[in-house]
Amino acid sequence: MTIVSLHGRDAVETKGRLDDGSSERFDQKPPIDGENNMAPGQDDHARFARLVLPHLGDAYSLARWITGNRADAEDVVQDACLRAFRAIGSVGDGSARPWVLTVVRNTAYTWLRKNRPSAIFAVEDIEDVETANAKPGDPDSETPETALIARADAASLQAAIMALPTAYRETMILRDVQGLSYREIGEVTGVPIGTVMSRLARGRNIVIKAIGRTES
Amino acid sequence: MTRPLIYEDSTLPIHAYLDGELDPTNALAVETRMATNPALAAECERVEALQRLMREHLPREAPPPGLRMRVETVVGMRRPRRQLSHAQFSWRALAASIAVTAVVASGATSILRAPSRTDLVRDGIVDAHIRSLMASQPIDVASSDRHTVKPWFNGRIPQAPRVVDLAKEDFPLVGGRIDVVGELPVPTLVYGHRKHLISLTAIPAPGRANSAPVLRTVDGYNMYRWVEDGVAYWAVSDVAAADLDKFSELFRTTPPDQ
Repeated sequence: MTIVSLHGRDAVETKGRLDDGSSERFDQKPPIDGENNMAPGQDDHARFARLVLPHLGDAYSLARWITGNRADAEDVVQDACLRAFRAIGSVGDGSARPWVLTVVRNTAYTWLRKNRPSAIFAVEDIEDVETANAKPGDPDSETPETALIARADAASLQAAIMALPTAYRETMILRDVQGLSYREIGEVTGVPIGTVMSRLARGRNIVIKAIGRTES
Repeated sequence: MTRPLIYEDSTLPIHAYLDGELDPTNALAVETRMATNPALAAECERVEALQRLMREHLPREAPPPGLRMRVETVVGMRRPRRQLSHAQFSWRALAASIAVTAVVASGATSILRAPSRTDLVRDGIVDAHIRSLMASQPIDVASSDRHTVKPWFNGRIPQAPRVVDLAKEDFPLVGGRIDVVGELPVPTLVYGHRKHLISLTAIPAPGRANSAPVLRTVDGYNMYRWVEDGVAYWAVSDVAAADLDKFSELFRTTPPDQ
């Protein structure tokens, strides 16, 4: 699978951008993501095995949804794990999963900017239309019936999600596949809870309509 | 989400409602609005259908095979030399295979005689312990009953290990497995201790003098090794050294059958 550009679809203005630093909003790394300068403690490997390795499946899944590619996802997870290992002393036992996913996400975006700059969408443009689109049940002829959604197969569901702008896609994956709370998603993606909610609403609506188009 | 919902006509709260993110007051408010607004109720149904679809078609998944090994290698938990491809053929690997072959062939030579071999065994045991922690099941036979675990080993390896019951001392038996150290299948007992696991591997060391437990640390794991009655015992775990010391003492001093 490759990243699908959304030009001209769903009235969402998205732009591919060169790696000129203008998409820095994606790179808000929390301080815990930094490498610490302390020598690795003796129990670092044990902590890594306990705190990071159990989340390798989720880490891989998130990396695959962001990069859109299995081989790339493995490279991203490997890089992310090395970064997580170097910072393993800075994470508490209770918050390991969101932390691991944060490191994976930031690593994935660094990877994307380097290898596929056109896949990064300018998220500000998306946010502008969010409010407008979160308006209520205006009778939208495009909105499919519930039964139609339920009939969709895995392939069209995946294609619809993959076609989302990354900001929506990662939010939906973190919530609906990995089961994170809004607060945790906000931590991982570096946005307020209100933005998590509006991205979920918008992302789900786009996917629902896309499925409706495929199935009907 | 305790702040009152101000956007009366928005579908946003439906998502928060379905995601269980609303407090009871706001959840009730959403339900009330849906009862009088068919468009909102329909939207709720669609989102629910999508969530069901995602649960059905996009389950959480295991990492692909080989990824764990890559990650372990890159953080130094696994030594690349251990993957014995021809490209990585080394003197040490050759020495190890000769040592193990000698043991298998003669059945009498202790593989623990030379320090370098001990290192190899030690690394192999730590690797086996780490691998077991990452597997979905750290054990091949799951039982807290030593009368189940001990017979399980019979017929699989030449000598079943000594199994003692330490449940009363807060070290319950979890089960057992067979590890391969070098090329030698060896029995490993698994005990629990406050959510942690202790792997205890028993390796035949005929003719070896008894020795008291000695602590060492490998890859961040604590290990105690001691020899008793021609068997070398290796206890490895991420529990504190003091707990592992206690475990080793208890295992040595508790008779197998009370």
